[in-house]
Amino acid sequence: MLIWVSALHCEAKPIIDFYRLKKSHDDTAFDHYRGNGMACIISGTGKIASSAACAWIAARYGDEASIAWINLGIAGAAQHDIGSIFSLHQVIDADDGHRYYPAPASAVELDGSACMTLSLPSDDYSEEYLFDMEASGFMYATLRFSSAELVKSLKIVSDNQREKIGRDRQRVSDLVHQHIDSIERQASSLMALNDEVAARSPGLEYWQQLTSMAHFSQTQQNRLRVLWRYLMNRDFDAVTLMQQFEEHSPRAIIKHLEQLSYRDSEGLRP
Amino acid sequence: MTSRVYVESSIRQHPRTRQLLQRLNKLPVIEIEHYGEVFNPRSQNFRLQKKNPAIIIAHKNKGHMLAAPEGYGLGGDHNYYFSHMLNCLYDCRYCFLQGMYQSAHQLLFVNFEDFGDEMRRVAASHPQQPVWFYSGYDCDSLANDPMTRFTEFFIPLVASIDNAWMELRTKSTQVRGMLKLKPQDRVVTAFSFSDPVSHAQLENGVPSIAKRIDAMRRLMEAGWKVGLRLDPIVYHVNYQVEFKALLEQIFAELDATAMHSVSLGSFRLTRDHFRKVSRLYPDEPLFAQPMELDNGIVSYPVEREREMIEFCETAVLQHVPRQCYHPCNWHG
Repeated sequence: MLIWVSALHCEAKPIIDFYRLKKSHDDTAFDHYRGNGMACIISGTGKIASSAACAWIAARYGDEASIAWINLGIAGAAQHDIGSIFSLHQVIDADDGHRYYPAPASAVELDGSACMTLSLPSDDYSEEYLFDMEASGFMYATLRFSSAELVKSLKIVSDNQREKIGRDRQRVSDLVHQHIDSIERQASSLMALNDEVAARSPGLEYWQQLTSMAHFSQTQQNRLRVLWRYLMNRDFDAVTLMQQFEEHSPRAIIKHLEQLSYRDSEGLRP
Repeated sequence: MTSRVYVESSIRQHPRTRQLLQRLNKLPVIEIEHYGEVFNPRSQNFRLQKKNPAIIIAHKNKGHMLAAPEGYGLGGDHNYYFSHMLNCLYDCRYCFLQGMYQSAHQLLFVNFEDFGDEMRRVAASHPQQPVWFYSGYDCDSLANDPMTRFTEFFIPLVASIDNAWMELRTKSTQVRGMLKLKPQDRVVTAFSFSDPVSHAQLENGVPSIAKRIDAMRRLMEAGWKVGLRLDPIVYHVNYQVEFKALLEQIFAELDATAMHSVSLGSFRLTRDHFRKVSRLYPDEPLFAQPMELDNGIVSYPVEREREMIEFCETAVLQHVPRQCYHPCNWHG
């Protein structure tokens, strides 16, 4: 599952169009689009809005095995040309000084930049950073749900000391649209990583059925989870396994799965 | 593939930092206040990060020399370890570093001089007695030597302290730096090996057994003391055959009687590290084998471990004299 987070609809529109995401009419808290293993949420402006939107949508997709995130939006810069795109490698909250570091996990990387998140709009740009109003809120919230390798913030320069187009919705959409190919590459590599993480939790759909077969204590459930996860990762068939239990006591089930795990692991075969 | 470099602002102009950045000039450089900002946050995935780790260049403020854990070492009374780096170039599935740190980035401390001062102070606190300093606990001692020039600084340092001994633990073949130096009697380079099947399945990125044996041979021929660390011994159905084959391969090339020391120990991790690593790699057969908890350490059941150690010990002693054999007794 990949979730796009943008402050404004005009920032997200090229993504919604490109991936043909459909608006969800079930929700009223935030505008929310979905489709193709993705969702896109329009948070509104500011870091608190961004945090709230991330938390809300993370709860909405809480059943997903793993979630990757992209914050896509515009930023101000002192010198960079309008339309330049960056993947943030450092996000600084101007209010509390907290710094966040999205972790590099993919070989496909855009140029990096540090970004300072401000609570109020400002034209007082420094050379060192991009400036936005959401990234620190986005990082604060998403790092509670996903690891730093699955969190990205992409910023496109809309305002600099020579020109400001950040308030022109159509031109903002055009700026994002002109980078749609490289944004799509970022999304693909992030989704591949996320799939890798999600694939380590196979057979979850049978977990409830398995745990309802006997009355497992918490300790037994912990052991059961480790064994089940291993066997599912090793491509054992969940249904066949559950049919093999001769006795439906917690100990017998765990013992059976242990024996299978031990036998499978003794060759160290990958 | 290294993805980027983080540098603490305070040591950006340190000569060793400048030299490193010159070498890493193709990578993006990001300035940070303190390495902990990047290295310590909990929301990191060691397994994902290992694919494209970064290098963090930092200053170590304290704890340059630490007392070695009980039972660690080669029998000396005063054992310390130190780490100029945290994390390793290689990706060995049995390694405790995966469970120890949140981050897979390689953290390099550039203030070698502070390590040196502390080493002198510790050695002076045990006058007239040998003091061992172990490197390679939290990193591979030699794997990054061409970049860090670790040996160029620390070997002459140890040579200058009369009662200091140093072990460099490694799986690397990067011995060129050492071969340029004058061999020192009080420096032992200890190479770790696991049997060929364990090597193939569990030691990602580690040079081949043959290449490591060749590196040992070159050091020995140049007059350096070399040790052999058969650790960890990992259980699998063919471990006996494979372990014997490993010894045959090593001692076909190297003079067993010239070996400084040989030690062996079975696979083991602390309970916390085992729990964390097995969560990171739920698909890994090594962690699905029968294990038991003993004194906070997860390892093979007593009977299996005893059988493995006895077998391997007997095989080792067919090649090396007993006086240079040091079993690793972690049970206490």
